[in-house]
Amino acid sequence: MRSAAAAPHIVWAVLFIVVPLIIVVYYSFTDRSGAFTLDNIKGLGDYTQIFLLSVELALIATIVCFLVGYPLAYIIARQKPKMQKFYIMLLMLPMWTNLLIRTYSLMAIFDDGGFLNTLLGTQFHIIGTKGAVIFGMVYDFLPYMVLPIYTCISKIDPFMWEAASDLGCSPLSVIVKVIFPLSLSGIISGITMVFVPSISTFYISQKLGGGTFELIGDTIERQFASNALNTGAAISFAMMILILISIWIMNKFSDPEEGGIIV
Amino acid sequence: MARLIELKGITKEFDGEKVLNSIDLYIRDKEFITLLGPSGCGKTTTLRIIGGFEKQDAGELYFDGVEISDVPAYKRHVNTVFQKYALFPHLNVYENVAFALRLKKLPEKEISERVSEMLEMVDLVGFEAKNVTTLSGGQQQRVAIARALISKPRVLLLDEPLGALDLKLRKDMQNELKNIQQATGITFIYVTHDQEEALSMSDTIVVMAKGEIQQIGTPTDIYNEPKNAFVADFIGESNILDGVMICDKKVSFASHTFTCVDGGFGPNEPVDVVVRPEDVDVVPVKKGMLRGKVTSVTFKGVHWEIIVDIDGFKWMIQTTDYVAPEAEIGLYIEPDAIHIMKKSEFSGMFGDYSSFSDELDELSDADAVD
Repeated sequence: MRSAAAAPHIVWAVLFIVVPLIIVVYYSFTDRSGAFTLDNIKGLGDYTQIFLLSVELALIATIVCFLVGYPLAYIIARQKPKMQKFYIMLLMLPMWTNLLIRTYSLMAIFDDGGFLNTLLGTQFHIIGTKGAVIFGMVYDFLPYMVLPIYTCISKIDPFMWEAASDLGCSPLSVIVKVIFPLSLSGIISGITMVFVPSISTFYISQKLGGGTFELIGDTIERQFASNALNTGAAISFAMMILILISIWIMNKFSDPEEGGIIV
Repeated sequence: MARLIELKGITKEFDGEKVLNSIDLYIRDKEFITLLGPSGCGKTTTLRIIGGFEKQDAGELYFDGVEISDVPAYKRHVNTVFQKYALFPHLNVYENVAFALRLKKLPEKEISERVSEMLEMVDLVGFEAKNVTTLSGGQQQRVAIARALISKPRVLLLDEPLGALDLKLRKDMQNELKNIQQATGITFIYVTHDQEEALSMSDTIVVMAKGEIQQIGTPTDIYNEPKNAFVADFIGESNILDGVMICDKKVSFASHTFTCVDGGFGPNEPVDVVVRPEDVDVVPVKKGMLRGKVTSVTFKGVHWEIIVDIDGFKWMIQTTDYVAPEAEIGLYIEPDAIHIMKKSEFSGMFGDYSSFSDELDELSDADAVD
């Protein structure tokens, strides 16, 4: 009965998850003629610098998102239910606009002759710096950090705050000793949901990076655009492994009873 | 005994609705005091003000002679057992109990000794490493008590702590709580809507209704000498009748003049008369002071509970002798079974069993849980 009910899901999963993965793996280990080769994998060493830079920027963006997102999620979760809905709507509103358009708008704002410099009458050079790319990642992916943490905190029994302060916790230590540990699963989801798109983005780095540096997403895009399917597949494959490892590490920190998270 | 906590003129409103109206109350050191009343009477709000989780709009709160209204909860020498326990799900039994001591950064050895001592007291030795979410309601309750008592507070606040437990367990825990209170000498402030619980555990009962204190007294005082119709009805079963105090020790109700033991009322002053169901004797019609017709008979184990119609007023009477439904019977009431109360805002609202049924009673009880 159960297996019969699960059948559509399995078909779905095979068709849209397993098959594409197999295709990626197939291309990673073959050459243009379709013969087995390890050259693509061996060639990955050329991209080490790009990998490291991508990890660095994605990590920084994730940390910034967490530092901004956790207090924000906490504050929203502590409002009256009506205000919570309002704030969450505000947070979601920009997401109704396409990611590309939002990134373009950031370009218009930060450009050398852009909105910000015109407004302030300054000559800040922002586009093309690491900072601009990190800002773009934070701006685009912040809601993915806030939402799971908010959901998690808003589900915590309100008596937890009272019980903690009753037992001697100052308002700050209530958060550190009780609320933070209880929102760990939300934090893990948030970190994963920001880190994964950040490390694989190509659009943000292209536009806000001003073409001065390349991230792993750009590399993959370039490979496929120039029809180097096998190299592109190999880099994708390597990145997938990298992401899987990071998720595996993340799950080590989460409550084993909650079963960790699946992206 | 010294006054440990004193409330003076405590008033609290929620959204313009007065939930506490100028409460004056003092709590003695080492006593077991119960705030008793139906839901919405303000008992929990009173407790939360003492605990520091709410702040009163007006009035003063003294702890050991010091005004503490502005002292935050975490700095008060008061700990709480919450209604739904509020144990920390990310910590095991040991760490839940040790929580308050860890905050004080006590040495590990002392923490371990005191946790063991607490777990022994609540009979949970061997449960140290268990996850609190896997425990039964009664066990969680014990963890909550141990967690609240480990920092040796002067006062323990208990907010309907047994509300979620089944009857048998609740009786056991009542005894255990009373024993813990006597062994530790800590002042217990206990909130409940269960009058039986209040009667069996407390040194002092504070009966509350409509945000006001109706009566403060020992369990026997409250039961035998209720101050008004509300208290008489809320604590135990009562027949409450309109009466007229003819003179001292003479009262007229149900078209009959009775001898009673109360006095001090004005001549012909209208009063409320309370007669407890167990204090009425069923006698043959000829010997009765009152006569009436039995309208319903319910077997309650220890006694029969019968409803008797006397000139349209339905009395509840508990008797150990079987009486047939529809039978005509006489009733005999001893002078000391009659309790006279001044008229109050609650007069005429309670004490007639004409609409009485067990089903309704249970419904209203379930209603009162929250």
